[in-house]
Amino acid sequence: MESNSELTELGKAIANLEEDKTYEILDRYLADSVPPLEIIDELSAGMDEVGKLYKEGEYFLSELVFSGEIFKGAMAKVKPLIETGSGRESSGKLIVGTAKGDIHDLGKNIVITLLECAGFEVIDLGVDVPAEKFVEAVRESGAPLVGLSALLTTAFNSMRETMEAIRNAGLRERVKVMIGGGSTSDKLREQIGADFYGRDATEAVDIAKSVLK
Amino acid sequence: MNSFERIEAAISLKAPDRVPVGPLLDHFAATYTGITNAELMTDGDKRIDAVLKTMRELGPWDVTFVADTATETLLKLGLPIKLRLPGKDLDENEIHQLHEVEFLTLDDYDLLKRIGVFRFMWNVLGRLYPEMKGLGAAWPLVSTTLEFRKHRKMVEKAGARMACGFVHPGILPDYFSLGRSMQPFMMDMFRHPEKIKSVNRLWSRGMVGIAINGARFVGEPTVFIGCARSSPTFISPKQFEEFALPEYEYTINTIIDAGMTPLLHCDTDWTRFLHYFRRFPARKCILELDGASDIRKAKEILGDYMCIMGDVPATLLAGGTKDEVMDYCRGLIREIGKGGGFILSSGCSIPANAKPENVKALTEAVEEWGYY
Repeated sequence: MESNSELTELGKAIANLEEDKTYEILDRYLADSVPPLEIIDELSAGMDEVGKLYKEGEYFLSELVFSGEIFKGAMAKVKPLIETGSGRESSGKLIVGTAKGDIHDLGKNIVITLLECAGFEVIDLGVDVPAEKFVEAVRESGAPLVGLSALLTTAFNSMRETMEAIRNAGLRERVKVMIGGGSTSDKLREQIGADFYGRDATEAVDIAKSVLK
Repeated sequence: MNSFERIEAAISLKAPDRVPVGPLLDHFAATYTGITNAELMTDGDKRIDAVLKTMRELGPWDVTFVADTATETLLKLGLPIKLRLPGKDLDENEIHQLHEVEFLTLDDYDLLKRIGVFRFMWNVLGRLYPEMKGLGAAWPLVSTTLEFRKHRKMVEKAGARMACGFVHPGILPDYFSLGRSMQPFMMDMFRHPEKIKSVNRLWSRGMVGIAINGARFVGEPTVFIGCARSSPTFISPKQFEEFALPEYEYTINTIIDAGMTPLLHCDTDWTRFLHYFRRFPARKCILELDGASDIRKAKEILGDYMCIMGDVPATLLAGGTKDEVMDYCRGLIREIGKGGGFILSSGCSIPANAKPENVKALTEAVEEWGYY
């Protein structure tokens, strides 16, 4: 897969899912003392290209996930070099969790990987999360966006309860809520009073960008 | 026409007297009849009584599942993943859930190669559930198989056909994607393709043999094949052609050669891969869609090739009104049922919290609009 010609060698390698080549170039950059934030920018540009190829239907979920793994591996080498206070600027903070009564987290974890690759700070509440825990997380973190996930239709009531709990806590004006997961739909979003519905992981990232950036 | 004749006509892409109907029944049978999900999953007598009562009161149906997809022993045997079970890990009225973690390792490809499919599945079962190690699983396996043969006869006596005689867990990518968990298996496709390929055909050969013998013993010559993790929701066309398609072709052709019908249960959106299904023998398979695939596109691409079954969505059955369900069914009957080759069903399982009137609506819809 040929990627955007404006990308650097490192950006192209990650966009082309060339894992070994990505790390070879990265090691060379590190040996040449290329500033860490420049490296991150090049990697991020490569990831943006991956996202573009996914939306165009050239890449599929497995390529997204693989690119996320390559990116995480690269970041593990670069992050220790970033001085305190001069780190990569966070794109924003959000809370993500699977609704009470549901322990499925496959989709949620993919969404979190992509959000973190895009520079978001994610507070992962895990699975089977009761309404009050979402409320507590919003209060403590001040995050302006909540991602509520469910696979099972039997979790719809707890999603509804989470929305009510956020409203009853007087937090509804402070926070936007997006829903996603196998059994969810835009109709469900409307029924429970959430703000956004993401059909897949990349839509979740787009929603986060629209709310937080 | 009786139910058998209707289903056979639909598979052969001929128009029966009316569109056959039969949703995928499992946990809803417990909710509807008032037994617990724990009882449904573990007590065969209560399970079949619940299935028959549901079918009697919300049908009549031409075909029914017998909550095989919610039978504890079968799930434990067929899925390389830790289950959360009602009455044990969850409240007795909850539905079972899958706790997906990286359980199978890279070494398990080599283990499978060394000991073969049946011993491998036995090994995995013992690792997941120590109480079923060694001979601990023998009696549950035998008794469940005998039970399904008995239940098949009871369903037929009630005027319907049992939907399948064996639940095949899927080709190796599906099984290992669950057992390794999805992300590590995706990494295997990129980093260790040779490992997958070294056991891919071995798995297909072993598993299809078990499936055919199982269906033969139960007496219903239809093999349900779980098709989920190999869909375009997860993998690319290149990966599908490399790891999945040859195994589907082998498995499906072998089942057909044995005089049986493959029921391709396609979870998630398979629309972008439906054209591949024209490589399978015509008028021999059932394509079961769960509401995520574009069923109209399926009719366009495969309407002259395979019987389509589905796809009233779970969200509609649980959250919609009866009128909405009837409208949805009417659309399916008129468009997908046109010319024959269609079985009206739910999109995968009827959800446990479905409204009974919505489930009943499927039968009412075929009665109103389903006659050819």
